[in-house]
Amino acid sequence: MLEVKGLVAGYAGSEVLQGIDLVVHDREGVIVLGPNGHGKTTLLRAITGLLPPSAGQVLLNGKDITRWRPDVIAAAGVVHIPQGDLLFPEMTVLENLVMGAYNRATWSERNVRLGHVYELFPWLKERGGQLARTLSGGERRMLALGRGLMSKAQILLIDEPSLGLAPLTTQQIYASIQTVKESGMSLLLADENANHVAGLADRVYLLETGMLVREGPADELLRDKALLESYLG
Amino acid sequence: MSTQFVQAVWGGVLFGSVYGLMALGLTLVWGAVRLLNLAHGALFVVGAYAAYWVVSFLHLPILVALPFGVLAAAAFAYLMHIIFIRPVIGKPGFDNSTLVATVGISIAVSAAALLIFNPQYKVVPPVLSGSTIVAGVQITYQGLLVIGTSLALFAIVYAFLTYTRLGMAIRAVSQQTEAASLMSIPVVQTYGIVIAISGGLAGLAGVLLSPSFFLSPNSGFNPMIQALIVTIFGGLGSVRGALVAGFVLGVFESFVEVFYGVGWAQPGVFILIILMLIVRPNGLFGIGEVKRL
Repeated sequence: MLEVKGLVAGYAGSEVLQGIDLVVHDREGVIVLGPNGHGKTTLLRAITGLLPPSAGQVLLNGKDITRWRPDVIAAAGVVHIPQGDLLFPEMTVLENLVMGAYNRATWSERNVRLGHVYELFPWLKERGGQLARTLSGGERRMLALGRGLMSKAQILLIDEPSLGLAPLTTQQIYASIQTVKESGMSLLLADENANHVAGLADRVYLLETGMLVREGPADELLRDKALLESYLG
Repeated sequence: MSTQFVQAVWGGVLFGSVYGLMALGLTLVWGAVRLLNLAHGALFVVGAYAAYWVVSFLHLPILVALPFGVLAAAAFAYLMHIIFIRPVIGKPGFDNSTLVATVGISIAVSAAALLIFNPQYKVVPPVLSGSTIVAGVQITYQGLLVIGTSLALFAIVYAFLTYTRLGMAIRAVSQQTEAASLMSIPVVQTYGIVIAISGGLAGLAGVLLSPSFFLSPNSGFNPMIQALIVTIFGGLGSVRGALVAGFVLGVFESFVEVFYGVGWAQPGVFILIILMLIVRPNGLFGIGEVKRL
């Protein structure tokens, strides 16, 4: 599905990612675990074109999508739910969701897709007319997820779904991601907390200072408390 | 009602819709692209001369010239986007380089109009001729057309931004550019569309207003300055602000002119604006940096 080879990317000459090799197979849940500031966000941004990589390749189903524009990558089905949610603040909840279906392929079926998103987050339906900037942190995260699901995603890239949320909301968010995964979606999730992702993960990569230092099946790696402790602190 | 009063209201509403029409395009581009387009007056001139050319050289009726003028100005604006705006999008110094470029385009368009046509005032025929007298004041049908067109365009632009796929995409791009691109919205292409729409609006203003103000290579300058004032008064980037501010300033200027003389009209407007900006530095619909289209 998604393959990353020797990816190097960063800001103004100083590379954050030092050659990343990573694979997400069809219907697989892959977690990139790493402490803050080690390149998780940079990795996702480099994959979806927000930060064009300086070297390496990104392949989607074998096709080279490196250095495509972000809107073209999104249209190809690589859907990125970014850090900080990046909602459209002066648009309503409904308008935000509808923008997720902007692509020609999904625009005509946006009402059907709305139905699916409402099943996952019934709350979004009641608050359709509310401006996004008036939402609470947890509500924003759900809207960002819902908006991402409005598109025809082949793979979802989610950047730290629990960032800044209360424990109860965090549980809800991961439960909904679980539901999405069970529907057959491929996932690439960046996180810094091993406990949250246990149910979602098929495979785990450990990211340290811009390099993937470990890779393995989730039930093996996530059980190794000593290893996780040494990487994540 | 006294003739003076009717005169002031008529003049005010007419000026107001003219200002609003020019300010609409300017505020759209600022709101979506964060581009202060100082070539907006040049687009006015392109539209007006294009219509003049169709009428005087092709001898076609003004109703053919009108859409031609609008399209010519829109095409010119799009070309300007491709050559001067697009290459610097997202680069440091975008503000400065586009400011200089759009001033340069204004000068170039004036010079080109001078070379191609000559400095004499040109007459563009009105779409509607004739007039009627209300309470001793001459109400031109062209004036009524300008008012109607301006109001209709505000309604159309508002509905376009609120309900259509492209209009919503324009708002999305203006509010969160990065998220817009993650929604598969082609950001730079959307900028181009907004600039072309804005050009078409300026061109339409040019064709509709030239019968009342005559046409010369520098005709676009005053309407653009007024549009800038209206846009700042209403709040940069606000469509509603442009409409309200257009009429407030138009009516105010007209009343000052009728009751205190022409000499006070411009100073009066500036005094009002200075006072208003002291109270609300972000304009009437003071949305500042946070709220956009």
